[in-house]
Amino acid sequence: MEVFDHLATGFMAAGTLENLLFCLIGTILGTLIGVLPGIGPIPALAILLPITFGLDPLSSLIMLAGIYYGAQYGGSTTSILVNMPGEASSVVTCIEGHQMARRGRAGAALAIAALGSFFAGCVGTVFIAAFGPPLSAIAQQFNSPDYFALMLLGLVMAIVLAHGSVLKAVAMVLMGLLLGLVGTDINTGLTRYTFGLNGLWEGIDFLPLVLGLFGIVEIIRNLETPPPPRETISTRLRDLWPTRKEIREAYPAALRGTGLGSLLGILPGGGAVLASFASYTLEKKISKTPRKFGTGAVEGVAGPESANNAAAQTSFIPLLTLGIPSNPIMAIMMGAMIIQGIQPGAAVMTTRPDLFWGMVASMWIGNLMLVIINLPMIGIWVKLLSVPYRLLYPAILLFCAIGVYSTSTEPFMMVLMIVFTVFGYILYKLGCEPAPMVLGFILGPLMEENLRRSLVISRGDPMIFLDRPISATLLVATVLMIGLIVFPQFRKTREEAFQEE
Amino acid sequence: MVIKSPQDFGAGILFILFGAIGLYVGSDLNFGSARNMGPGYFPMIICSLIVLIGLIVTAKSLSLEGPPIERIQFRPILFILLAIAAFGLLIAEVGAVISSILLILFAAYARRNVNLIETVVFAVGTAAFVVIIFVYALGQPMPVWWGR
Repeated sequence: MEVFDHLATGFMAAGTLENLLFCLIGTILGTLIGVLPGIGPIPALAILLPITFGLDPLSSLIMLAGIYYGAQYGGSTTSILVNMPGEASSVVTCIEGHQMARRGRAGAALAIAALGSFFAGCVGTVFIAAFGPPLSAIAQQFNSPDYFALMLLGLVMAIVLAHGSVLKAVAMVLMGLLLGLVGTDINTGLTRYTFGLNGLWEGIDFLPLVLGLFGIVEIIRNLETPPPPRETISTRLRDLWPTRKEIREAYPAALRGTGLGSLLGILPGGGAVLASFASYTLEKKISKTPRKFGTGAVEGVAGPESANNAAAQTSFIPLLTLGIPSNPIMAIMMGAMIIQGIQPGAAVMTTRPDLFWGMVASMWIGNLMLVIINLPMIGIWVKLLSVPYRLLYPAILLFCAIGVYSTSTEPFMMVLMIVFTVFGYILYKLGCEPAPMVLGFILGPLMEENLRRSLVISRGDPMIFLDRPISATLLVATVLMIGLIVFPQFRKTREEAFQEE
Repeated sequence: MVIKSPQDFGAGILFILFGAIGLYVGSDLNFGSARNMGPGYFPMIICSLIVLIGLIVTAKSLSLEGPPIERIQFRPILFILLAIAAFGLLIAEVGAVISSILLILFAAYARRNVNLIETVVFAVGTAAFVVIIFVYALGQPMPVWWGR
């Protein structure tokens, strides 16, 4: 089977001692940052991004993927033990997992989350290997109008899934698009929105933007309103194994979660958050004992945890085959790839098969490492929760500053970081969630270019978007999504879904 | 006129300002036509949309109740920004060790009740750690002390 040949290539590339080491370091660092309450994958990736820059492209991507899974995984640990979700996708784990922990089943909840995630990770890896090539063949048929329509759908989905007000999320995306356009216009060579600053000629640098908006604003937020004192539930290693009954309840849920997550991950706008909420809702719906939910239902841990991990993996598919990030986390991944000199897209698979398959293989390796470093070493991560914040935040801040300095010694970069910290702070005070902005920022230049090309082909006739079957389908989906936002019934469910946080 | 939702009102004004600045700064860019989009085409559309949404959000904030804007605390943000600025300005002059220590000292004062001795010890330790990791292990080009 071709799939296995590809995977073999990948394991050869990812299995070198050096890459295994970077994968391990990535998962450990990711867990380390992810365990800290309140820090989700986006700030974790932003903070750790700079340390991957010195590596060669494959190693750095392997490490970044490891950081991502590690951060997500660490978030689940914190949710279960401290009832503090580090990020949106472990919110539901918080609901059931922490209840299990209170009943003295913390170890079992952690083990189920770990094993469910690992299983989902295995399936996700095979999923990418099986569907990557056919999808990239489809991607070859994508033309400018189709790309434009796909990005539009992705942005609308990001708006649907953003926290809080829809209108504000739309504004965030639009502001992101505009920020993405700053710099030299590739078509005319004219500089736009540079305010006469040379430092902006090549556009706004990605790193100061994400570090300011996510990393540093997060610190200031925690300083302004310190998180409430938390009740940590201690866990002993010998309680780690789930009972037979728990396993019986967990595995069908894990299977369903994996399937659902794998599918939702591929969709534009999909990803870990959507998958875990969807899986939780599904489990609650089909359960014979829905009353158990909210009091520590095993299915409510197994399903969403598997789903978010499966989706975390398959959401790489649109990025790697179409070159389009489907959610803010993938936008950061894409930013990192571009910094490494790789333009994500269908071409990567043919020109750099080692890179593509190596990354896929490393996802599986990373998941295995996570189980190994998490289950036996859980005590260490829990200890980390007792490091006082007064020591933690200056160190994180120093990391951010050195990260920016190590990519560019221009003092201007620090100015940019300060500007985006202030901007992010204002957004936070005004109740605006900045995550959709990153997606807009990455997609801005791509959207403009594809819109321009489409309209050149059609000589200015917008009907071109409806004449092509792919773009027409995507646009219909976009309109349906917009309909969902406007339609009051769905709007209520969306608000309720976020209410649970 | 009564502002019922201060957060949304502020956000609306921010959007309007952002969009308006975009429109003003971009006004001298060639708009072109749909057939041949100029450099101003896409930005103008986006900025107009931002202004439009800003107007809607502002209008809604006058009629629908919403959360107030939390009080701004100046201490955290000022000291954090000061720490970054000091680091960025000084690293080229005095090197990574001293600028790292300064960053941590400034950052520590973003909180009240600072334990100076603990902070200094922590700052020196972290600076050493950072130099070992970034300069020696990862080989980042960075001056360690002044004048290289």
